Amino acid sequence: MSRFLSKDFLSGLMFIAFGLVALYFGQKLALGTTVRMGPGYVPRMLSIILMSLGGLICVVALVAGSEPVERPKLRPITLVTIGVIAFALLFERAGLLPALVVLVLIASLGGEEFKITEVIGNMVALAILCTLVFKVGLGMNISIVRGVW
Amino acid sequence: MDLLNNLLLGLSVAVSLQNLMYALIGCLLGTLIGVLPGIGPVATIAMLLPITFHLPPTASLIMLAGIYYGASYGGSTTSILVNLPGESASVVTCLDGYQMARNGRAGAALSISAVGSFFAGTVGTIIIVMFAEPLTRMAQKFGPADYCSLMALGLVAAVVLASGSVIKAIAMVFLGLLFGLVGTDVNTGAQRFTFDVPELSDGIDFAPVAMGLFGIAEIVVNLERRLSRTAGTIKVGSLWPTREEVRRAIPAVLRGTALGAALGVLPGGGPTLGAFSSYTLEKKISKHPEQFGKGAVEGVAAPESANNAAAQTSFIPMLTLGIPSNAVMALMVGAMIIQGIQPGPEVMTKKPDLFWGMIVSMWIGNLMLVVINLPMIGMWVKLLTVPYRFLAPAILLFCCIGAYSLQNSTFHVFQVAVFGVLGYIFVRLGCEGAPFLLGLVLGPQMEEYFRRAMLLSRGDPMVFIQRPISLGLLITTAVLLIIMALPGIKKARQQAFQEEG
Repeated sequence: MSRFLSKDFLSGLMFIAFGLVALYFGQKLALGTTVRMGPGYVPRMLSIILMSLGGLICVVALVAGSEPVERPKLRPITLVTIGVIAFALLFERAGLLPALVVLVLIASLGGEEFKITEVIGNMVALAILCTLVFKVGLGMNISIVRGVW
Repeated sequence: MDLLNNLLLGLSVAVSLQNLMYALIGCLLGTLIGVLPGIGPVATIAMLLPITFHLPPTASLIMLAGIYYGASYGGSTTSILVNLPGESASVVTCLDGYQMARNGRAGAALSISAVGSFFAGTVGTIIIVMFAEPLTRMAQKFGPADYCSLMALGLVAAVVLASGSVIKAIAMVFLGLLFGLVGTDVNTGAQRFTFDVPELSDGIDFAPVAMGLFGIAEIVVNLERRLSRTAGTIKVGSLWPTREEVRRAIPAVLRGTALGAALGVLPGGGPTLGAFSSYTLEKKISKHPEQFGKGAVEGVAAPESANNAAAQTSFIPMLTLGIPSNAVMALMVGAMIIQGIQPGPEVMTKKPDLFWGMIVSMWIGNLMLVVINLPMIGMWVKLLTVPYRFLAPAILLFCCIGAYSLQNSTFHVFQVAVFGVLGYIFVRLGCEGAPFLLGLVLGPQMEEYFRRAMLLSRGDPMVFIQRPISLGLLITTAVLLIIMALPGIKKARQQAFQEEG
């Protein structure tokens, strides 16, 4: 089983998967001829090359073996991603400040150490810095708190 | 004399107060991120890219260039003082630089690396000046088939830089090319892989991709690893090297500069490759190879000069041919496109002030770095004591704001999140992000040239072999691929990257 959970084998599978997705969604694109290529020609060519490379990587990984993948820690990647998405959702609706507070809070939870006083200090410093640089300095059209400033 | 006039024009642009200020900002920022581990020039430039929209074109390119070579300066400071390379290009400097510092020669190591870097930067700038015009003239003769082959060479050469499996890196290039096709097909107007998302019809913007792959993924990996900092600070001591040290450093600087400059021009080359190769070279030709790793002056002087020379000369393919040779250059291309400048041979003729201004400001930037770095070393080292738990949220925040301000749309922020996850998967599977990014940037252009070449040749793929320039480039590409597959080279390559890891 560990044979199949190696870095190379899984990345080979990933390449094949991307190739298949591109083939599936590129079905409707016209191929055209070699002289006048349609929009589908190059995508199809690339997906086929990608899948063959992926297949080759899989085969080599099975024959020659490769490093096993490390067990991923889900906490940092999940929290960082949630933080970024939360920022995206809040930024236009509520303004920079609320988005910043939520992002920094969630991202800090992803780390090993979490001290609430430090996190608040970090938020204050970043809020001041961002306001000065982006709003005052660069004059970007963003609201700090929606409806207020 | 034409060249002199051009340089004077460049000088007049570069010494304007505004451009000097942006060069300084770029150098300071570059040094800062070079000192700080966990954030590199790619992520920084990607973050700042949207901001450059608010600046004039010349100023923005000067600033971004400053970040790039500033990073290689800053990285060496921390390599020498605390054995922490801030940048991959200064990893080798740790080997002997830190040992010199432990022997009480930290000051000498720092000044040798700063002066060596400055010398290399100067030579690099001169080389750009000399090669820019002939190469540009050559590039104007390129047909679509030639461009296509040139890009193929660039992409294959980029694979040399990727550590780990060559075939995986090639697959990453193709994956990048595929992602580059998303959007409206230029020739027919057909929507490709846009899934009816209007924002995708302009294609995938590579700035959020770079932020995701190089910013977010890096943060996550660092958070997992609990970036430990054993910053046992070392006294800097006298900055003056002894006569013996100078005698040994000078030839090493010269060799490092030459090798670095040569490797920098190659597509796919760059500071990291230059530094590693020159360290290996010094060790090979030294009469006392046993001193290496124990504080050999040559082991600091050569790679430090090489990485700076390479950082400079890697601008050559980008400025003259419009082909980025590494991930940073890919972002520089993007910065030019944001400003409405199509990178390529026309830049020099149509925008001479921008072209020469940028080149001269690079030299000024290098001068600034010597001035900034030597007296301010204490401050930079102090920055290292800032814990990562403060930095990580800050980097994330700047990525998000940067992504948003690209087009004032939160769509790009979501894109950062998606590519962050993808980048994390890449890291876990041991796939390199840089070839992917290059493929993504070059994808649309390469398809365009490919289709045009095939149209002109009436569907005959032989056109790529019949044109001499294209044939030459393809042969070089093939040779590179074969060399990489040779067992001996494969082993040496693995060793080189093992030292890095």
